[in-house]
Amino acid sequence: MARILTVDDSRSVRMIVTRELRALGHDLDEAEDGEKGLEKLEELSFDLVILDVTMPVLDGPGMLARMREAGNKTPVLMLTSESKRSIIANLMKLGIDDYILKPFNAEDLKAKVAKVLRQDVGAPVPVLGPASDAGRPAGAASVGSAGAGAAGAGGPTEGGVGGGPNRAFVDILVIDDMENVQKRLRQMIPEHLSVAGALNAQTAIAACRDRGVRAILLDNDMPDVNSVALMRQVRVLQPKAVVLALYVRTSTNVLEAAKGNGFDGVLMKPFDVGAVEDFLLQYFNSQDLVSKDDNVLKVAKFKGRENRLDSYFLEVVSNVSRYSEEIAAACYGEMVLDVSAVPPNAEKVARMMLEINSRISKMGIEIRLVGSPEIAKTLKQYTETAQMPLFGSVDEALRAA
Amino acid sequence: MALPTAPPTSSADRLAEQLQRIISKRIDDDSLVLPMLPLVATKSLELLKNPNFSMKDVAAVIEKDPMITVQLLRFTNSAALGTRDPIKKVQDAVARLGANQLRTFLIEAATRRLFESKDTRILATNKRIWEHSLVVASVAADIAALANSAEAEAAYLGGLLHDVGKPVVASMLLEAERSIRLSRPDAVWIGPADFLTVVQKIHRPLGIKLAQKWEVPEPVLRAIRDCDDYDSAERSSAANAVRLANAIVKEQGIYEGEVNKDDVEAMVMIGQSVLGVDISACRQLVGSVRTAVKAYL
Repeated sequence: MARILTVDDSRSVRMIVTRELRALGHDLDEAEDGEKGLEKLEELSFDLVILDVTMPVLDGPGMLARMREAGNKTPVLMLTSESKRSIIANLMKLGIDDYILKPFNAEDLKAKVAKVLRQDVGAPVPVLGPASDAGRPAGAASVGSAGAGAAGAGGPTEGGVGGGPNRAFVDILVIDDMENVQKRLRQMIPEHLSVAGALNAQTAIAACRDRGVRAILLDNDMPDVNSVALMRQVRVLQPKAVVLALYVRTSTNVLEAAKGNGFDGVLMKPFDVGAVEDFLLQYFNSQDLVSKDDNVLKVAKFKGRENRLDSYFLEVVSNVSRYSEEIAAACYGEMVLDVSAVPPNAEKVARMMLEINSRISKMGIEIRLVGSPEIAKTLKQYTETAQMPLFGSVDEALRAA
Repeated sequence: MALPTAPPTSSADRLAEQLQRIISKRIDDDSLVLPMLPLVATKSLELLKNPNFSMKDVAAVIEKDPMITVQLLRFTNSAALGTRDPIKKVQDAVARLGANQLRTFLIEAATRRLFESKDTRILATNKRIWEHSLVVASVAADIAALANSAEAEAAYLGGLLHDVGKPVVASMLLEAERSIRLSRPDAVWIGPADFLTVVQKIHRPLGIKLAQKWEVPEPVLRAIRDCDDYDSAERSSAANAVRLANAIVKEQGIYEGEVNKDDVEAMVMIGQSVLGVDISACRQLVGSVRTAVKAYL
């Protein structure tokens, strides 16, 4: 542990500094002005001097100047209510290592002391610390820089397709240093939802700054970054996004801990199909099952457990009905419905088509389906759907108008 | 024994002093002619003062200016707003932005025009000052947000306008040069480096006056006015966020003109403690902001 000298004319400041740093195991000594501080430095060798600016007898800049003139290179941390640029710039020329503005919080003091004493090597570091001490999680004190460690791993990687015409919007951002995490999630997420990945804090911040994001999945164990601090930062940049912590399955009691730290929930790794489905149901609106471009509707692929298939078809019917009202309002006489991705469950597909047809025919809209030969075969099995026009592609269906 | 002589004054210093005197006098007797806000912006901002403003009325005013209309739709559909479905109508754009963001957009559109010039000599300089202002604005808004400040919008505008006096001074210098050359075609005028020195020396009071004329909110005005030191009483203020952003952006070399390295380092060190943000993350933000700004320019 280090030997530290605090030089300040305020007894209460010296007491707080001494109390906080002694709690970390450091040896503390005190002086009430610059002259007494210099005397202490002649008696003993210190690892760090914490120095005020304005003091009687000899002020901080005066003491610092005499220290350096005498060849004393002990690191100096200024702890002061002085924030004038010209004064601090002069102190920097004399060789100060860091600066804290009074009033200060204990966490900032501890973090800066650790930084100056270079105790940050290998310690987990946050990207940003909050302005005040309130709500700061344990272990989230700024004890170093995330710069070099986090930089240079490349930009956010796209992990999928879809997401509408505006790629500036991402449905799910996965922040995890393991690239496979976003790839695995991509395989389990419906195609109409877009997924992007960030492998480090830097790219995560850039992604959150540049894009709209609906849900963020953040690894609880990111290297070089305190995940809670990173979560707070992405929340500021994406205040409307839901943020879930990613934990490995061996972790226990994580939900409570994650919520206590400010996450909205957790998702366990490796991903479980049911858990991913629950996540989608909870945070993504079912209207995303159908995308619309003028009078062309495209139904997304079903991904999930078999027992959710019924609700999938019901939601598709409901969404197509809703969009058909918009199509009617825009004076289109036809609607192209691409059902290529719908699972080939014969009876359910036929019932869905009948229901849709019955609803939209009342609006005077003619339906043109787009689907695979398998869908065509399914529709031909039932008298009610056998005559429905089906095309191999959206272009073909539009040309038939 | 001879009296000590004053250090020689450069032509830029002399010109700056003369202009400063003229501008101060004009400010004092209220005869300084400053650029007006475009009529569309003035009318829209007036309508936005009413908390129950009609989106239809505001849209109708904006649609009268095709340039602002195009910029508004482009901005509303930009990455920053994360719009899922493209917005095609001005009224939808107004609804999407809301009063505060629309106000910021209108002032930004008006400010951008100040940096346009037909003179090729100052066009490039103005473009770099505008780039610096846009980056400072974005980084200041992020810093304000990260410092839990409620003034992120004001920080953006403050960043955008903190150097707004510079293109105004540049235009005045051009005007002065033209007048002098008309009467004395062989007159020697200052070079590009001195030109920037003059701009830097006297832009501040002009920027403040312009912002006052445009009736920008008080937190924004403070960000433009008090650029040299932090306000330790209001640590998370928009003005402080702009000061720190300005220092970080200068430190990263995105600045037109000479930079005092010691001052910049001091501003970064103080700002980090005043606002309670980790500087390395703020520096990281500058890179991505600059890329976005370059695409926007």
